[in-house]
Amino acid sequence: MIKDITIGQYFPGDSVIHKMDPRMKIILTVVYIAALFMVKNFWGFLLTGGLLIVIILISKIPVQTVLKGIKPLLFIIVFTAFFNIFYGTGAPVFPDIGWLAWLKWGGLRNAAFMVIRIVLLITGTSFMTYTTSPVMLTDALERLISPLRYIKVPVHELAMMMTIAMRFIPTLTDETEKITNAQKARGADFETGNIIRRAKALIPILIPLIVSAFRRAEELADAMECRCYNGGDGRTRYKIYSFSLRDYIAAFIVLAVFVSIILINVFI
Amino acid sequence: MIITTENLTYKYGVGTPFEKTALNNVSIGIEDGDYVGIIGHTGSGKSTLISHFNAILKPTSGRVYVDGEDLWQENKLKRIQTRFKVGLVFQYPEYQLFEDTVYNDIAFGPKNMGLSDKDIEQRVMMATEFVGLDKKYLEKSPFDLSGGQKRRVAIAGVMAMSPKVLVLDEPAAGLDPRGRDEILARIREYHQETKSTVLLVSHSMEDIAKNANSIIVMNRAECMMHASVKEVFEKAEELEKIGLDIPQITKVFISLNKLGYKVSPDIYTVEDARDEIMRCIKDGDVK
Repeated sequence: MIKDITIGQYFPGDSVIHKMDPRMKIILTVVYIAALFMVKNFWGFLLTGGLLIVIILISKIPVQTVLKGIKPLLFIIVFTAFFNIFYGTGAPVFPDIGWLAWLKWGGLRNAAFMVIRIVLLITGTSFMTYTTSPVMLTDALERLISPLRYIKVPVHELAMMMTIAMRFIPTLTDETEKITNAQKARGADFETGNIIRRAKALIPILIPLIVSAFRRAEELADAMECRCYNGGDGRTRYKIYSFSLRDYIAAFIVLAVFVSIILINVFI
Repeated sequence: MIITTENLTYKYGVGTPFEKTALNNVSIGIEDGDYVGIIGHTGSGKSTLISHFNAILKPTSGRVYVDGEDLWQENKLKRIQTRFKVGLVFQYPEYQLFEDTVYNDIAFGPKNMGLSDKDIEQRVMMATEFVGLDKKYLEKSPFDLSGGQKRRVAIAGVMAMSPKVLVLDEPAAGLDPRGRDEILARIREYHQETKSTVLLVSHSMEDIAKNANSIIVMNRAECMMHASVKEVFEKAEELEKIGLDIPQITKVFISLNKLGYKVSPDIYTVEDARDEIMRCIKDGDVK
Protein backbone atom coordinates (compact mmCIF):
# COMPACT_ATOMS: atom_id res chain seq x y z
CA MET A 1 0.00 0.00 0.00
CA ILE A 2 2.76 2.40 0.96
CA LYS A 3 4.52 1.52 -2.25
CA ASP A 4 1.55 2.72 -4.33
CA ILE A 5 2.26 6.36 -3.59
CA THR A 6 4.19 7.65 -6.55
CA ILE A 7 4.60 11.28 -5.56
CA GLY A 8 8.26 11.95 -5.09
CA GLN A 9 9.30 9.02 -7.25
CA TYR A 10 11.97 9.42 -9.85
CA PHE A 11 11.77 7.79 -13.27
CA PRO A 12 15.18 7.77 -14.89
CA GLY A 13 15.24 8.86 -18.51
CA ASP A 14 17.11 11.07 -20.90
CA SER A 15 14.42 13.34 -22.28
CA VAL A 16 14.92 17.09 -22.63
CA ILE A 17 12.94 17.56 -19.42
CA HIS A 18 15.24 15.16 -17.56
CA LYS A 19 18.26 17.08 -18.78
CA MET A 20 16.95 20.48 -17.79
CA ASP A 21 18.68 22.37 -15.02
CA PRO A 22 16.89 21.32 -11.82
CA ARG A 23 16.92 24.91 -10.58
CA MET A 24 14.96 25.98 -13.62
CA LYS A 25 12.55 23.11 -13.08
CA ILE A 26 11.84 24.25 -9.54
CA ILE A 27 11.36 27.86 -10.56
CA LEU A 28 9.08 26.93 -13.45
CA THR A 29 7.07 24.60 -11.24
CA VAL A 30 6.43 27.51 -8.89
CA VAL A 31 5.40 29.68 -11.83
CA TYR A 32 3.12 26.87 -13.03
CA ILE A 33 1.45 26.64 -9.62
CA ALA A 34 0.98 30.40 -9.51
CA ALA A 35 -0.54 30.30 -12.99
CA LEU A 36 -2.95 27.55 -11.94
CA PHE A 37 -4.26 29.60 -9.07
CA MET A 38 -4.76 32.63 -11.25
CA VAL A 39 -6.92 30.78 -13.73
CA LYS A 40 -10.48 32.12 -13.58
CA ASN A 41 -12.13 30.38 -16.52
CA PHE A 42 -11.83 27.20 -18.55
CA TRP A 43 -9.68 28.82 -21.23
CA GLY A 44 -6.92 29.12 -18.68
CA PHE A 45 -7.19 25.42 -17.84
CA LEU A 46 -7.04 24.59 -21.52
CA LEU A 47 -3.74 26.42 -21.68
CA THR A 48 -2.18 24.91 -18.53
CA GLY A 49 -3.61 21.47 -19.36
CA GLY A 50 -2.14 21.76 -22.84
CA LEU A 51 1.24 22.64 -21.36
CA LEU A 52 1.02 19.61 -19.10
CA ILE A 53 0.19 17.27 -21.99
CA VAL A 54 3.18 18.60 -23.92
CA ILE A 55 5.38 17.94 -20.87
CA ILE A 56 4.01 14.38 -20.52
CA LEU A 57 4.71 13.69 -24.19
CA ILE A 58 8.23 15.09 -24.13
CA SER A 59 9.27 13.42 -20.87
CA LYS A 60 8.10 9.95 -22.02
CA ILE A 61 6.75 9.08 -18.58
CA PRO A 62 4.05 6.41 -19.07
CA VAL A 63 0.55 7.85 -18.74
CA GLN A 64 -0.49 5.01 -16.41
CA THR A 65 2.19 6.08 -13.96
CA VAL A 66 0.87 9.62 -14.05
CA LEU A 67 -2.69 8.41 -13.43
CA LYS A 68 -1.54 6.12 -10.63
CA GLY A 69 -0.09 9.14 -8.87
CA ILE A 70 -3.56 10.68 -8.67
CA LYS A 71 -5.19 7.55 -7.29
CA PRO A 72 -4.23 7.93 -3.60
CA LEU A 73 -5.60 11.48 -3.70
CA LEU A 74 -8.90 10.48 -5.24
CA PHE A 75 -10.61 10.78 -1.89
CA ILE A 76 -9.52 14.38 -1.35
CA ILE A 77 -10.56 15.28 -4.89
CA VAL A 78 -14.03 13.75 -4.52
CA PHE A 79 -14.39 15.30 -1.07
CA THR A 80 -13.55 18.78 -2.35
CA ALA A 81 -15.85 18.45 -5.32
CA PHE A 82 -18.69 17.24 -3.11
CA PHE A 83 -18.59 20.24 -0.83
CA ASN A 84 -18.16 22.72 -3.63
CA ILE A 85 -21.39 21.53 -5.18
CA PHE A 86 -23.37 22.82 -2.17
CA TYR A 87 -21.93 26.32 -2.21
CA GLY A 88 -23.08 27.41 -5.61
CA THR A 89 -24.91 30.47 -6.77
CA GLY A 90 -26.86 31.21 -9.91
CA ALA A 91 -29.63 29.35 -11.63
CA PRO A 92 -30.74 25.94 -10.29
CA VAL A 93 -29.92 22.95 -12.47
CA PHE A 94 -33.38 21.41 -12.16
CA PRO A 95 -35.82 24.33 -11.76
CA ASP A 96 -38.81 21.93 -11.83
CA ILE A 97 -37.72 19.53 -9.07
CA GLY A 98 -38.27 21.11 -5.68
CA TRP A 99 -35.95 19.09 -3.50
CA LEU A 100 -33.05 19.60 -5.89
CA ALA A 101 -33.35 23.39 -5.70
CA TRP A 102 -30.02 23.69 -3.90
CA LEU A 103 -28.16 22.30 -6.89
CA LYS A 104 -27.01 25.39 -8.80
CA TRP A 105 -24.99 25.70 -11.99
CA GLY A 106 -22.48 27.79 -10.09
CA GLY A 107 -21.87 24.91 -7.67
CA LEU A 108 -21.24 22.42 -10.44
CA ARG A 109 -18.91 24.90 -12.08
CA ASN A 110 -16.98 25.40 -8.84
CA ALA A 111 -16.72 21.66 -8.29
CA ALA A 112 -15.43 21.05 -11.80
CA PHE A 113 -13.00 23.94 -11.37
CA MET A 114 -11.61 22.50 -8.15
CA VAL A 115 -11.21 19.01 -9.57
CA ILE A 116 -9.37 20.24 -12.64
CA ARG A 117 -7.21 22.52 -10.56
CA ILE A 118 -6.19 19.79 -8.09
CA VAL A 119 -5.50 17.24 -10.82
CA LEU A 120 -3.40 19.72 -12.81
CA LEU A 121 -1.62 20.79 -9.65
CA ILE A 122 -0.71 17.27 -8.56
CA THR A 123 0.29 15.91 -11.93
CA GLY A 124 2.15 19.07 -12.86
CA THR A 125 4.20 19.26 -9.70
CA SER A 126 4.86 15.53 -9.62
CA PHE A 127 6.60 15.92 -12.97
CA MET A 128 9.33 17.80 -11.23
CA THR A 129 10.07 14.74 -9.07
CA TYR A 130 9.41 12.24 -11.87
CA THR A 131 12.15 13.79 -13.98
CA THR A 132 14.61 14.91 -11.30
CA SER A 133 16.50 12.61 -8.97
CA PRO A 134 16.11 13.46 -5.28
CA VAL A 135 19.79 14.29 -5.02
CA MET A 136 19.59 16.80 -7.86
CA LEU A 137 16.42 18.22 -6.42
CA THR A 138 17.83 18.97 -3.01
CA ASP A 139 21.05 20.17 -4.59
CA ALA A 140 19.13 22.64 -6.70
CA LEU A 141 17.00 23.69 -3.76
CA GLU A 142 20.11 24.34 -1.74
CA ARG A 143 21.45 26.54 -4.51
CA LEU A 144 18.18 28.42 -4.87
CA ILE A 145 17.81 29.25 -1.21
CA SER A 146 21.52 29.79 -0.62
CA PRO A 147 21.15 33.62 -0.50
CA LEU A 148 19.29 33.02 2.77
CA ARG A 149 22.55 32.09 4.46
CA TYR A 150 23.31 35.79 4.75
CA ILE A 151 20.49 35.99 7.26
CA LYS A 152 21.97 32.98 9.09
CA VAL A 153 19.68 30.29 7.70
CA PRO A 154 21.61 26.96 7.78
CA VAL A 155 21.00 26.31 4.09
CA HIS A 156 23.45 23.48 3.59
CA GLU A 157 22.29 21.65 6.70
CA LEU A 158 18.66 21.90 5.64
CA ALA A 159 19.47 20.54 2.21
CA MET A 160 21.52 17.70 3.69
CA MET A 161 18.67 16.82 6.02
CA MET A 162 16.28 16.67 3.09
CA THR A 163 18.64 14.49 1.06
CA ILE A 164 19.00 12.07 3.95
CA ALA A 165 15.26 11.99 4.59
CA MET A 166 14.56 11.14 0.97
CA ARG A 167 17.33 8.60 0.84
CA PHE A 168 15.80 6.71 3.75
CA ILE A 169 12.20 6.55 2.56
CA PRO A 170 12.64 3.22 0.72
CA THR A 171 14.80 1.83 3.51
CA LEU A 172 12.19 2.59 6.13
CA THR A 173 9.39 1.28 3.92
CA ASP A 174 11.26 -2.01 3.69
CA GLU A 175 11.84 -2.03 7.39
CA THR A 176 8.17 -1.35 8.13
CA GLU A 177 7.21 -4.33 6.05
CA LYS A 178 9.70 -6.57 7.83
CA ILE A 179 8.56 -5.52 11.29
CA THR A 180 4.90 -5.85 10.32
CA ASN A 181 5.52 -9.40 9.16
CA ALA A 182 7.43 -10.24 12.31
CA GLN A 183 4.57 -9.00 14.51
CA LYS A 184 2.03 -10.73 12.32
CA ALA A 185 3.97 -13.94 12.90
CA ARG A 186 3.32 -13.40 16.60
CA GLY A 187 -0.39 -13.16 15.95
CA ALA A 188 -0.72 -9.37 15.83
CA ASP A 189 -3.89 -8.39 14.02
CA PHE A 190 -3.91 -5.06 12.20
CA GLU A 191 -7.06 -5.44 10.20
CA THR A 192 -9.95 -6.04 12.54
CA GLY A 193 -11.51 -4.10 15.39
CA ASN A 194 -12.52 -0.47 15.77
CA ILE A 195 -10.30 2.48 15.08
CA ILE A 196 -8.85 2.69 18.61
CA ARG A 197 -7.97 -0.98 18.56
CA ARG A 198 -6.32 -0.60 15.20
CA ALA A 199 -4.35 2.44 16.29
CA LYS A 200 -3.16 0.52 19.32
CA ALA A 201 -2.18 -2.39 17.10
CA LEU A 202 0.32 -0.08 15.40
CA ILE A 203 2.41 0.34 18.54
CA PRO A 204 4.31 -2.94 17.99
CA ILE A 205 5.33 -1.58 14.58
CA LEU A 206 6.03 2.03 15.45
CA ILE A 207 8.32 1.46 18.42
CA PRO A 208 10.78 -0.88 16.66
CA LEU A 209 10.65 1.41 13.64
CA ILE A 210 11.56 4.50 15.65
CA VAL A 211 14.26 2.60 17.53
CA SER A 212 15.77 1.44 14.27
CA ALA A 213 15.53 4.92 12.73
CA PHE A 214 17.58 6.28 15.62
CA ARG A 215 20.07 3.46 15.28
CA ARG A 216 20.45 4.18 11.58
CA ALA A 217 20.83 7.87 12.25
CA GLU A 218 23.66 7.20 14.65
CA GLU A 219 25.39 4.83 12.25
CA LEU A 220 25.01 7.30 9.42
CA ALA A 221 26.45 10.10 11.54
CA ASP A 222 29.45 7.92 12.34
CA ALA A 223 29.89 6.96 8.72
CA MET A 224 29.76 10.60 7.66
CA GLU A 225 32.28 11.61 10.26
CA CYS A 226 34.59 8.81 9.15
CA ARG A 227 34.58 10.43 5.75
CA CYS A 228 35.44 13.77 7.27
CA TYR A 229 32.11 15.46 6.75
CA ASN A 230 32.02 18.66 8.74
CA GLY A 231 29.21 20.73 7.36
CA GLY A 232 28.92 22.86 4.27
CA ASP A 233 31.87 25.20 4.75
CA GLY A 234 34.52 24.76 2.15
CA ARG A 235 32.73 21.99 0.27
CA THR A 236 33.09 22.16 -3.47
CA ARG A 237 30.79 20.64 -6.03
CA TYR A 238 31.25 17.78 -8.38
CA LYS A 239 28.46 18.96 -10.63
CA ILE A 240 28.17 22.61 -11.57
CA TYR A 241 24.80 23.58 -12.99
CA SER A 242 24.43 26.16 -15.68
CA PHE A 243 21.42 27.27 -17.69
CA SER A 244 21.51 26.23 -21.31
CA LEU A 245 19.36 26.98 -24.32
CA ARG A 246 16.72 24.39 -23.44
CA ASP A 247 16.27 25.99 -20.03
CA TYR A 248 15.65 29.37 -21.60
CA ILE A 249 13.20 27.88 -24.10
CA ALA A 250 11.31 26.13 -21.30
CA ALA A 251 11.25 29.33 -19.29
CA PHE A 252 9.94 31.23 -22.28
CA ILE A 253 7.10 28.72 -22.85
CA VAL A 254 6.00 28.62 -19.23
CA LEU A 255 6.17 32.39 -18.89
CA ALA A 256 4.17 32.73 -22.11
CA VAL A 257 1.45 30.55 -20.59
CA PHE A 258 1.59 32.60 -17.41
CA VAL A 259 1.22 35.91 -19.25
CA SER A 260 -1.54 34.49 -21.47
CA ILE A 261 -3.54 33.54 -18.39
CA ILE A 262 -3.26 37.06 -17.04
CA LEU A 263 -4.34 38.42 -20.41
CA ILE A 264 -7.27 35.96 -20.55
CA ASN A 265 -8.32 37.07 -17.08
CA VAL A 266 -8.21 40.70 -18.14
CA PHE A 267 -9.89 40.42 -21.50
CA ILE A 268 -12.35 37.51 -21.32
CA MET B 1 2.96 -34.43 7.03
CA ILE B 2 2.56 -31.24 8.99
CA ILE B 3 3.28 -28.82 6.15
CA THR B 4 2.76 -29.56 2.49
CA THR B 5 3.09 -27.29 -0.53
CA GLU B 6 1.67 -28.10 -3.94
CA ASN B 7 3.14 -26.38 -6.98
CA LEU B 8 3.75 -23.32 -4.87
CA THR B 9 4.68 -20.34 -7.03
CA TYR B 10 5.27 -16.81 -5.85
CA LYS B 11 6.06 -13.76 -7.92
CA TYR B 12 7.10 -10.38 -6.63
CA GLY B 13 5.76 -7.26 -8.28
CA VAL B 14 3.23 -8.92 -10.57
CA GLY B 15 2.24 -6.56 -13.37
CA THR B 16 5.23 -4.27 -13.01
CA PRO B 17 8.48 -4.26 -14.98
CA PHE B 18 10.17 -5.56 -11.84
CA GLU B 19 8.29 -8.88 -11.80
CA LYS B 20 10.44 -11.67 -10.41
CA THR B 21 9.69 -15.29 -9.68
CA ALA B 22 10.84 -16.03 -6.15
CA LEU B 23 9.37 -19.53 -5.97
CA ASN B 24 8.69 -21.74 -8.92
CA ASN B 25 6.50 -24.82 -8.59
CA VAL B 26 7.75 -25.91 -5.21
CA SER B 27 6.15 -29.10 -3.91
CA ILE B 28 7.49 -30.33 -0.61
CA GLY B 29 6.25 -32.13 2.45
CA ILE B 30 7.56 -31.58 5.96
CA GLU B 31 7.30 -34.62 8.21
CA ASP B 32 5.78 -34.10 11.67
CA GLY B 33 8.53 -33.97 14.31
CA ASP B 34 11.34 -33.64 11.81
CA TYR B 35 14.27 -31.23 12.07
CA VAL B 36 14.72 -29.83 8.60
CA GLY B 37 17.61 -27.70 7.42
CA ILE B 38 16.95 -25.33 4.53
CA ILE B 39 20.00 -24.31 2.54
CA GLY B 40 20.46 -22.32 -0.61
CA HIS B 41 22.31 -19.42 -2.11
CA THR B 42 21.29 -15.86 -1.22
CA GLY B 43 18.16 -15.06 -3.22
CA SER B 44 17.30 -18.70 -3.88
CA GLY B 45 13.87 -18.33 -2.28
CA LYS B 46 14.44 -19.71 1.22
CA SER B 47 12.92 -16.79 3.07
CA THR B 48 10.05 -16.48 0.61
CA LEU B 49 9.32 -20.18 1.07
CA ILE B 50 9.11 -20.04 4.85
CA SER B 51 6.95 -16.90 4.76
CA HIS B 52 4.30 -19.04 3.07
CA PHE B 53 4.15 -21.54 5.92
CA ASN B 54 2.27 -19.17 8.22
CA ALA B 55 0.30 -17.24 5.62
CA ILE B 56 2.44 -14.07 5.69
CA LEU B 57 2.69 -14.29 1.91
CA LYS B 58 -0.11 -15.41 -0.36
CA PRO B 59 0.93 -17.78 -3.14
CA THR B 60 0.61 -16.45 -6.68
CA SER B 61 -0.50 -19.98 -7.53
CA GLY B 62 -0.39 -23.37 -5.84
CA ARG B 63 -1.42 -24.44 -2.38
CA VAL B 64 -0.03 -24.56 1.14
CA TYR B 65 -1.41 -27.05 3.65
CA VAL B 66 -0.71 -26.87 7.36
CA ASP B 67 -1.95 -29.85 9.36
CA GLY B 68 -3.98 -30.92 6.35
CA GLU B 69 -5.83 -27.61 6.00
CA ASP B 70 -5.48 -25.47 2.91
CA LEU B 71 -4.39 -22.09 4.28
CA TRP B 72 -5.98 -19.93 1.62
CA GLN B 73 -9.29 -21.77 1.61
CA GLU B 74 -9.84 -20.99 5.28
CA ASN B 75 -11.19 -17.69 6.59
CA LYS B 76 -8.96 -14.95 7.90
CA LEU B 77 -9.39 -15.84 11.56
CA LYS B 78 -8.25 -19.37 10.85
CA ARG B 79 -5.19 -18.04 9.09
CA ILE B 80 -4.25 -15.99 12.13
CA GLN B 81 -4.63 -19.18 14.18
CA THR B 82 -2.13 -20.84 11.86
CA ARG B 83 0.45 -18.33 12.99
CA PHE B 84 0.26 -19.79 16.48
CA LYS B 85 0.74 -23.24 15.05
CA VAL B 86 3.68 -22.31 12.84
CA GLY B 87 5.98 -19.98 14.76
CA LEU B 88 8.20 -17.98 12.46
CA VAL B 89 11.39 -16.30 13.67
CA PHE B 90 12.63 -13.89 11.02
CA GLN B 91 16.20 -12.82 10.39
CA TYR B 92 17.54 -10.45 13.04
CA PRO B 93 14.41 -10.88 15.16
CA GLU B 94 15.76 -8.56 17.87
CA TYR B 95 14.62 -5.59 15.78
CA GLN B 96 11.00 -6.49 16.43
CA LEU B 97 11.19 -6.02 20.23
CA PHE B 98 8.95 -3.20 21.40
CA GLU B 99 7.56 -3.74 24.89
CA ASP B 100 8.76 -2.00 28.05
CA THR B 101 9.91 -5.21 29.71
CA VAL B 102 11.30 -8.48 28.45
CA TYR B 103 8.40 -10.27 30.14
CA ASN B 104 5.78 -8.27 28.25
CA ASP B 105 7.57 -8.76 24.98
CA ILE B 106 7.68 -12.52 25.31
CA ALA B 107 4.03 -12.41 26.41
CA PHE B 108 2.94 -10.57 23.25
CA GLY B 109 2.34 -13.75 21.25
CA PRO B 110 0.49 -15.67 24.00
CA LYS B 111 -1.61 -12.54 24.67
CA ASN B 112 -2.65 -12.45 21.05
CA MET B 113 -3.69 -16.07 21.42
CA GLY B 114 -6.17 -14.94 24.06
CA LEU B 115 -4.74 -17.02 26.92
CA SER B 116 -5.40 -16.32 30.58
CA ASP B 117 -2.81 -14.40 32.63
CA LYS B 118 -1.84 -17.56 34.44
CA ASP B 119 -1.27 -19.47 31.21
CA ILE B 120 0.65 -16.55 29.77
CA GLU B 121 2.97 -16.49 32.77
CA GLN B 122 3.57 -20.19 32.49
CA ARG B 123 4.34 -19.87 28.78
CA VAL B 124 6.73 -16.99 29.33
CA MET B 125 8.58 -18.93 32.02
CA MET B 126 8.81 -21.99 29.81
CA ALA B 127 10.13 -20.01 26.85
CA THR B 128 12.60 -18.11 29.02
CA GLU B 129 13.97 -21.38 30.25
CA PHE B 130 14.20 -22.86 26.77
CA VAL B 131 16.32 -20.02 25.42
CA GLY B 132 18.46 -20.03 28.56
CA LEU B 133 17.67 -16.50 29.61
CA ASP B 134 18.25 -15.60 33.25
CA LYS B 135 14.97 -14.75 35.06
CA LYS B 136 16.49 -11.53 36.38
CA TYR B 137 16.20 -10.04 32.90
CA LEU B 138 12.42 -10.44 32.75
CA GLU B 139 11.72 -7.07 34.35
CA LYS B 140 14.38 -5.23 32.36
CA SER B 141 13.81 -3.25 29.19
CA PRO B 142 14.66 -5.36 26.14
CA PHE B 143 16.58 -2.39 24.74
CA ASP B 144 19.11 -2.59 27.58
CA LEU B 145 20.20 -6.13 26.74
CA SER B 146 23.16 -7.23 24.66
CA GLY B 147 22.69 -8.38 21.09
CA GLY B 148 22.79 -12.07 21.93
CA GLN B 149 20.32 -11.69 24.77
CA LYS B 150 17.96 -9.66 22.60
CA ARG B 151 18.04 -12.47 20.08
CA ARG B 152 17.10 -14.93 22.80
CA VAL B 153 14.21 -12.76 23.92
CA ALA B 154 12.93 -12.54 20.36
CA ILE B 155 13.16 -16.30 19.87
CA ALA B 156 11.47 -16.87 23.23
CA GLY B 157 8.66 -14.59 22.04
CA VAL B 158 7.87 -17.10 19.33
CA MET B 159 8.54 -20.22 21.41
CA ALA B 160 6.07 -18.91 24.02
CA MET B 161 3.27 -19.55 21.56
CA SER B 162 4.21 -23.26 21.75
CA PRO B 163 4.05 -23.66 17.99
CA LYS B 164 3.87 -27.17 16.59
CA VAL B 165 6.33 -26.03 13.96
CA LEU B 166 9.17 -23.65 14.74
CA VAL B 167 10.70 -21.97 11.72
CA LEU B 168 13.92 -20.00 12.15
CA ASP B 169 15.54 -17.87 9.49
CA GLU B 170 19.25 -17.78 10.31
CA PRO B 171 18.80 -17.53 14.05
CA ALA B 172 22.55 -17.45 14.63
CA ALA B 173 23.48 -14.79 12.06
CA GLY B 174 25.72 -12.10 13.45
CA LEU B 175 26.37 -13.81 16.77
CA ASP B 176 29.80 -14.75 18.08
CA PRO B 177 30.75 -18.46 17.95
CA ARG B 178 29.69 -19.10 21.51
CA GLY B 179 26.35 -17.32 21.11
CA ARG B 180 25.83 -19.26 17.92
CA ASP B 181 26.41 -22.67 19.50
CA GLU B 182 24.26 -21.79 22.50
CA ILE B 183 21.26 -20.64 20.48
CA LEU B 184 21.42 -23.70 18.26
CA ALA B 185 21.82 -26.02 21.25
CA ARG B 186 18.75 -24.40 22.83
CA ILE B 187 16.74 -24.90 19.70
CA ARG B 188 17.81 -28.52 19.52
CA GLU B 189 16.75 -29.00 23.12
CA TYR B 190 13.41 -27.41 22.38
CA HIS B 191 12.97 -29.76 19.44
CA GLN B 192 13.75 -32.83 21.51
CA GLU B 193 11.69 -31.91 24.54
CA THR B 194 8.55 -30.65 22.85
CA LYS B 195 8.66 -33.10 19.94
CA SER B 196 7.87 -30.17 17.68
CA THR B 197 8.93 -29.81 14.09
CA VAL B 198 11.83 -27.41 13.48
CA LEU B 199 12.85 -25.77 10.21
CA LEU B 200 16.23 -24.08 10.23
CA VAL B 201 17.40 -21.80 7.46
CA SER B 202 21.16 -21.45 7.58
CA HIS B 203 24.22 -20.72 5.50
CA SER B 204 26.41 -22.82 7.71
CA MET B 205 26.66 -26.40 6.54
CA GLU B 206 28.25 -27.29 9.87
CA ASP B 207 25.20 -26.04 11.78
CA ILE B 208 22.85 -27.89 9.46
CA ALA B 209 24.88 -31.12 9.70
CA LYS B 210 24.96 -30.90 13.46
CA ASN B 211 21.25 -30.32 13.91
CA ALA B 212 19.07 -31.36 11.02
CA ASN B 213 17.74 -34.79 10.08
CA SER B 214 16.86 -33.86 6.54
CA ILE B 215 17.74 -31.03 4.20
CA ILE B 216 15.85 -28.97 1.64
CA VAL B 217 18.14 -27.45 -0.99
CA MET B 218 16.77 -24.38 -2.74
CA ASN B 219 18.24 -23.16 -6.00
CA ARG B 220 16.96 -20.42 -8.27
CA ALA B 221 13.44 -20.38 -6.86
CA GLU B 222 13.13 -24.15 -7.07
CA CYS B 223 13.47 -26.97 -4.60
CA MET B 224 16.42 -28.91 -5.94
CA MET B 225 16.66 -31.63 -3.30
CA HIS B 226 14.76 -32.74 -0.26
CA ALA B 227 16.46 -35.71 1.34
CA SER B 228 18.33 -36.90 4.40
CA VAL B 229 21.55 -35.18 5.47
CA LYS B 230 23.61 -38.09 4.17
CA GLU B 231 21.92 -38.16 0.77
CA VAL B 232 22.34 -34.42 0.30
CA PHE B 233 25.96 -34.14 1.38
CA GLU B 234 26.87 -37.14 -0.77
CA LYS B 235 26.18 -34.90 -3.74
CA ALA B 236 28.99 -32.52 -2.89
CA GLU B 237 29.71 -31.68 -6.51
CA GLU B 238 26.16 -30.66 -7.29
CA LEU B 239 26.09 -28.49 -4.20
CA GLU B 240 29.32 -26.80 -5.17
CA LYS B 241 27.92 -26.07 -8.60
CA ILE B 242 25.15 -23.96 -7.10
CA GLY B 243 27.49 -22.11 -4.77
CA LEU B 244 26.93 -24.25 -1.68
CA ASP B 245 29.30 -26.41 0.21
CA ILE B 246 29.57 -29.47 2.44
CA PRO B 247 30.86 -29.39 6.02
CA GLN B 248 34.65 -29.00 6.23
CA ILE B 249 35.01 -32.10 8.35
CA THR B 250 33.25 -34.08 5.62
CA LYS B 251 35.80 -32.82 3.11
CA VAL B 252 38.60 -33.97 5.39
CA PHE B 253 37.15 -37.46 5.71
CA ILE B 254 36.45 -37.80 2.01
CA SER B 255 40.12 -36.94 1.39
CA LEU B 256 41.29 -39.37 4.05
CA ASN B 257 39.13 -42.04 2.48
CA LYS B 258 40.62 -41.34 -0.93
CA LEU B 259 44.12 -41.55 0.51
CA GLY B 260 43.35 -45.12 1.45
CA TYR B 261 42.51 -44.80 5.13
CA LYS B 262 39.67 -47.04 6.12
CA VAL B 263 37.43 -44.25 7.42
CA SER B 264 33.85 -43.63 6.43
CA PRO B 265 33.40 -40.64 4.09
CA ASP B 266 29.96 -39.96 5.60
CA ILE B 267 31.11 -37.89 8.54
CA TYR B 268 29.30 -34.59 9.04
CA THR B 269 30.12 -33.38 12.53
CA VAL B 270 33.26 -33.08 14.60
CA GLU B 271 31.74 -35.40 17.21
CA ASP B 272 31.16 -38.11 14.60
CA ALA B 273 34.69 -37.57 13.36
CA ARG B 274 36.08 -38.12 16.84
CA ASP B 275 34.08 -41.34 17.23
CA GLU B 276 35.16 -42.55 13.81
CA ILE B 277 38.84 -41.94 14.55
CA MET B 278 38.50 -43.70 17.91
CA ARG B 279 36.86 -46.62 16.18
CA CYS B 280 39.64 -46.82 13.61
CA ILE B 281 42.29 -46.77 16.30
CA LYS B 282 40.46 -49.45 18.24
CA ASP B 283 40.01 -51.64 15.19
CA GLY B 284 43.65 -51.20 14.33
CA ASP B 285 42.89 -49.70 10.91
CA VAL B 286 45.12 -46.76 11.65
CA LYS B 287 48.33 -46.81 13.64
